[in-house]
Amino acid sequence: MMKNIYAWLDERLGFDDMYKMLLDRPEPHGNWWNTLGSASLFLFIMQGVTGIFLTVYYAPTPDHAYDSIQYIMNDVAFGWLIRGMHHWGASLMVFVVFIHMLRTFFSASYKYPRELTWMVGSVLFLLTLGMGFTGYLLPFNQRAYWATVVATNIGGVVPGIGPFILRALRGGTDVSALTLSRFFSAHIWMLPAALAGLIGLHLYLIMRHGESAYPDQDD
Amino acid sequence: MASSHRISRRDFVKAVTATLSGVMGIAMGIPIISYLIDPALNVQSSEAWIPLGPLDGYPIGTPTAFSFTRSNINGWEKTVNSYGGFILRKSESESDILALSNRCTHLSCSVNWNEEREEYVCPCHDAQFDIEGEVNAGPPPHALDHFETKVEEGTLSVKFPAVLAHEG
Amino acid sequence: MNDEMKKKINDKYEASIQNAERFWPDSIYKDLLVAFGLFILLIGLATFLGVHPEPKVDPTDATYVPRPEWYFLFLFEFLKYFPGQLEWVGAAVIPGILVGLLIFLPLYDKNPLRHNSKRKVALGIMSAIVSAIVILTLMASTIMTNMIAFILFLLLAGVLFFSLYKNPEKEIAWKKPALWVASFAFLALTGVTYQQTLAMAEPTEEVHVASSVPEKMSLGQDLYSIECVECHGPDGEGGEITVTAADGTEEKLPVKSISSNDEMYTRSDESFYEIISYGQPSLGMPPFGGAHGGELSPSELEYIVTFMRYTWDDRADVPEGAVTSAVPVLAEGEVPSYEVHVEPVVKRQCLSCHREGKENNNYLMEDYAGILNNGDNAPNVVAGDMDSILLQTIQGHEVEGVNGTIHVMPPNGKPIKDAYIDIFIRWVEAGMPETAEDASALAE
Repeated sequence: MMKNIYAWLDERLGFDDMYKMLLDRPEPHGNWWNTLGSASLFLFIMQGVTGIFLTVYYAPTPDHAYDSIQYIMNDVAFGWLIRGMHHWGASLMVFVVFIHMLRTFFSASYKYPRELTWMVGSVLFLLTLGMGFTGYLLPFNQRAYWATVVATNIGGVVPGIGPFILRALRGGTDVSALTLSRFFSAHIWMLPAALAGLIGLHLYLIMRHGESAYPDQDD
Repeated sequence: MASSHRISRRDFVKAVTATLSGVMGIAMGIPIISYLIDPALNVQSSEAWIPLGPLDGYPIGTPTAFSFTRSNINGWEKTVNSYGGFILRKSESESDILALSNRCTHLSCSVNWNEEREEYVCPCHDAQFDIEGEVNAGPPPHALDHFETKVEEGTLSVKFPAVLAHEG
Repeated sequence: MNDEMKKKINDKYEASIQNAERFWPDSIYKDLLVAFGLFILLIGLATFLGVHPEPKVDPTDATYVPRPEWYFLFLFEFLKYFPGQLEWVGAAVIPGILVGLLIFLPLYDKNPLRHNSKRKVALGIMSAIVSAIVILTLMASTIMTNMIAFILFLLLAGVLFFSLYKNPEKEIAWKKPALWVASFAFLALTGVTYQQTLAMAEPTEEVHVASSVPEKMSLGQDLYSIECVECHGPDGEGGEITVTAADGTEEKLPVKSISSNDEMYTRSDESFYEIISYGQPSLGMPPFGGAHGGELSPSELEYIVTFMRYTWDDRADVPEGAVTSAVPVLAEGEVPSYEVHVEPVVKRQCLSCHREGKENNNYLMEDYAGILNNGDNAPNVVAGDMDSILLQTIQGHEVEGVNGTIHVMPPNGKPIKDAYIDIFIRWVEAGMPETAEDASALAE
């Protein structure tokens, strides 16, 4: 029975090819620093999982955001754990992605033929910071509110178009319900979609060119 | 190297990979499941006596509508539900009072007292109940629920929630 | 880059992957161990450090000093060095240029050589930027970011030392000294942040954030006692207040009960909130909300409303664990103590006037020592002395003090409950124990 199902799936999916393509790839000798890329991916997935479950109870409106998070933290079983992991996962992810970038720089892995991998990767780093920025407002507490007021004000100092940028970020002149819902939308839909797509491209490029080898004296 | 007594590196790695993935899956899975079902485990029972005002305000012989609200805390929000029913005083006696719920036992629409036909009529599926709450016609499975009543110092109270007609 | 160079690079790469490693199982194994380590770290952080509770948003509180996440701190600090008119340079131009330089690095760094000894300029610039970011972050740091930095530096130093200790492959000569330097640099940074953390570890004013209805109720009770009791009475029963009009004439106004069913059934939480926040100027009630010039934050207003609703509304289902009466009942033969019995009564009955900024002959009753010795007429209460001022006034006897007659307490004409007076009398008789332990020691 199981054999039949396996055979049927194999005929259509081609497990062998998949195994060769995804898993059985040759790589140069690496070290523990090479694990940071997959660690970033792992943290992205963890953030995705915990984030998805947070939206079960979180309500992105000024009237309810704070109370719903208090509810998650104090009343829902393991709510503190899911929120805590999401909170700390954000910091950890920024940190790991940053170190991953430094590793790539110091091992000069961004050079031919991996230029595009680096460019996509640095956009991924910026998107990660964007996730941190938009996620900071969502608890809608004192710290979140005032930090967002200040941070969006920074966008407003650009000469000429500053006031427009400010209104575009906030969805109006004040940090309000509109700001909260557009940050929420960016945090759970736009940025993650962009991240997921670019992570796919990043991984494809890594598979295409292989993991880089550490340079030696001749390189 | 690959003697039959020693597991190969590949098998060892497989076992470690499977174990660690399994541990992480369980460490996340159990909290997540209880996180999701938590509100379902939270049953609030709230029996209470609801004062409905002086007994003298209710005429003898005709059903008189009453209503009250109860609040539940759902998550971080108070949800206020409205309940209603009819008081029928059959005689002067303080114990001879029938308090019917106005929720149709079919699909919970609110029934109304129809003076001319002397029946409770449900506007949704045309169910009809007699003055005592028994089913006259239509789809309802049983008679209207009723509230326990008591009278203290001339004030009529009903006990929330309403119970099945033939249980109390 | 010419084709010959490209071919050379590709050929060399082909050679390097011959008989080297496989993604599965070699890399995945290591990746998974690291992922597992991060997973444990995350659970540990969530469990032992948790998320710092923050008060509810209050847009009227302009005194709040916001701080960004630690990974934006360097930018936050960087902006300090730009005067107003040039702020846009620091906020938009320089970060914009850096972001562009970061993304397009491979396009302008045309140097095909990869070994670190052959790209000293690139390494130098990057190290300078990273050091600047780290230093700016540390300069802007608070105790929290310091703690995070401490953990990170310790972790990094650990990782570096570990990689020095465990060095299976033949390392190239330059690598070892560099690793040693980096390891000790991070160890030094760990030390510096540890010192800073200690230096900053002075008690800061903690905002208490209630997490449950019972907690909100008890915070609300405390606030009610301080802010509201003076006019509305300890049980919201009302009374009479004297209002001084602009022309100096005094007028007595009645204060109706706010705990009656009429009040509780017809006003929603929102209207209570607004009344407390805005006040009712024509009825003599000042505003209490920060938005209208009062001293209470939105969270505090909410706590008071929660306290009122759950204490006085007979329809409210009081949650388990809630204490509706803050004053414990004194058992037969039990010796009352300050912390268990007297303090709650003082909070409910006295503190709304006997605190800073009120007319009270400087008799502030905020703590144990204060109740005994504060004010112009101290000592106010002496162990075993039934003629103590405190005992006399609450039992309805006026006493002569240094500034004239001390009136009957409380002054609103509603004597405090006999049960509370009993607590005071038995407390003074027993020798005014401060803690529950002192009291039980005296009882034996």
